[in-house]
Amino acid sequence: MRFLLAALSPLMLTFAVPLANTLQPRVFGFPFLLVWIVFWVAVTPLFLYFVYRMERRT
Amino acid sequence: MNAAVVALAIAGAILVATIAFALYSIRRIRMDPQQYIVGGRSFGALLLWILLAGEVYTSFTFLGAAGWAYGRGAPAFYILAYGTIGYVIGYFYLPDLWRIAKERRLLTSPDFFQARYGSAVLTTAVAVLQFLLIIPYVTLQLTGVQIVLSIAGYGHYNATVAVAAAFALVVLFTFTAGLHGTAWASIVKDALVLGAVVFAGIVLPLHFFGSFGALFDRVLASSPHWLTLAHGSAPFGTNWYISTVLLTSVGFYMGPHSIAAVYSAKSGDAIRRNAIYLPLYQIVMLLVFLAGFTALVVAPGLKGPAADQSFLLVVQRYYPAWILGLIAGAGCLAALLPASAQLIGASSVFAKNVLGNAVWTRALVIVIAAGAFVMWVYWKQTLVDLLLLYYNGVTQFAPAFILGLYWKRANAWAVGSGIAAGEIAAFYFWHHSTQLWGINPGFFALLINLAVCVAVAFARRTSE
Repeated sequence: MRFLLAALSPLMLTFAVPLANTLQPRVFGFPFLLVWIVFWVAVTPLFLYFVYRMERRT
Repeated sequence: MNAAVVALAIAGAILVATIAFALYSIRRIRMDPQQYIVGGRSFGALLLWILLAGEVYTSFTFLGAAGWAYGRGAPAFYILAYGTIGYVIGYFYLPDLWRIAKERRLLTSPDFFQARYGSAVLTTAVAVLQFLLIIPYVTLQLTGVQIVLSIAGYGHYNATVAVAAAFALVVLFTFTAGLHGTAWASIVKDALVLGAVVFAGIVLPLHFFGSFGALFDRVLASSPHWLTLAHGSAPFGTNWYISTVLLTSVGFYMGPHSIAAVYSAKSGDAIRRNAIYLPLYQIVMLLVFLAGFTALVVAPGLKGPAADQSFLLVVQRYYPAWILGLIAGAGCLAALLPASAQLIGASSVFAKNVLGNAVWTRALVIVIAAGAFVMWVYWKQTLVDLLLLYYNGVTQFAPAFILGLYWKRANAWAVGSGIAAGEIAAFYFWHHSTQLWGINPGFFALLINLAVCVAVAFARRTSE
């Protein structure tokens, strides 16, 4: 479970990128591909924090 | 002329003040090899964060990332992704590596090979290889300093002299202060770099275009495909992107100086918490891209390596000298502090694992720095080419570390053959500029390495 949680953003940042490789829709003027990558980079600490909490409990 | 004096004076003052601050912070520490090389394994999550950020985000990361955004466009985005994935992978295996390092009192990256595989030949071979791979990287930091200082001097001065002075200062500092010094100096560096990057990535585009949307519209108006990747096997297409991100994230911590930073942690928990926060630093790279795109519209036409100077040239042309001086100071620190960590890494590997005694580390810092400087003066261009080999080269150590930690059957013959096969393949592909399906050739080298390693591990078992 914790590996799945941690693997999500790496998968989104690699194998899912060809699917997100478009200009539209622009978000606040930023191209979609860049928004996609920045989004998954930015939420990675959140996922790792959940993993950390789960490890602490066990 | 006056502007150059102001900018260079500010950059110089920043360098001196940072070193003074770091020396003051560590004045009570008595240096033995363990303190000198791995900071006495005393760094908590925050100082570790700053040290790693200080090592990873070099001036070449900033200049290079802006240069890629300027010269290539969307392929630059891989830089955002690979560090993030490197931190996620590190979250899981680095605490285990740290625990072994602590129990067995390891100081260097090759020490792990001695502790885990018990082969002196393998350890020495790995040490020599790591040493050879990292030297071009140290010298390349000098090119970073040269770019920054020649722009801060508005082209009026011979930058080689300024580079020599700045490097000599940092080498003496490294000799005195060891990894503790590098970590503390990185506090100032990170703060300044953050300021410089916010300026370059937010103030610059808003000044010239009013909004980020308008910046991207301008980029797209001249090059409609600049902000998306080419498809599949095209050069720098999606195949290249995925394979490069995977390759570089696996190799993320494999430089000997990064392994030393891992050893310097106070606890496994400090490493985990550190890995949670480090991806946030990656966001800074987004701002660097914005600076690169701004430069592309404001100062188009730079070709090849000159693209790396793009956003500094914009600052030089449109802003007062004191702003350029602050940014140049940050840029110098961003080159010289990683050089300092790499010097300690290279020296400790050579002292401990080739000469056989870690006490030689400090003296070697001076010798290796002098050698690196001479190499830089004579073979600048060759060294840039060698750097491409560095990333693919150090990544070949990853299977030995990760399999070594989690797979009992991995042995000296297996990882030794794997590394040899991987390095030969990496060198061959690099030498012949091999391209297959647009995939990064280093990725194939890593797969060959892994396959050979696993095959030999099984073969050795059946023959025994």
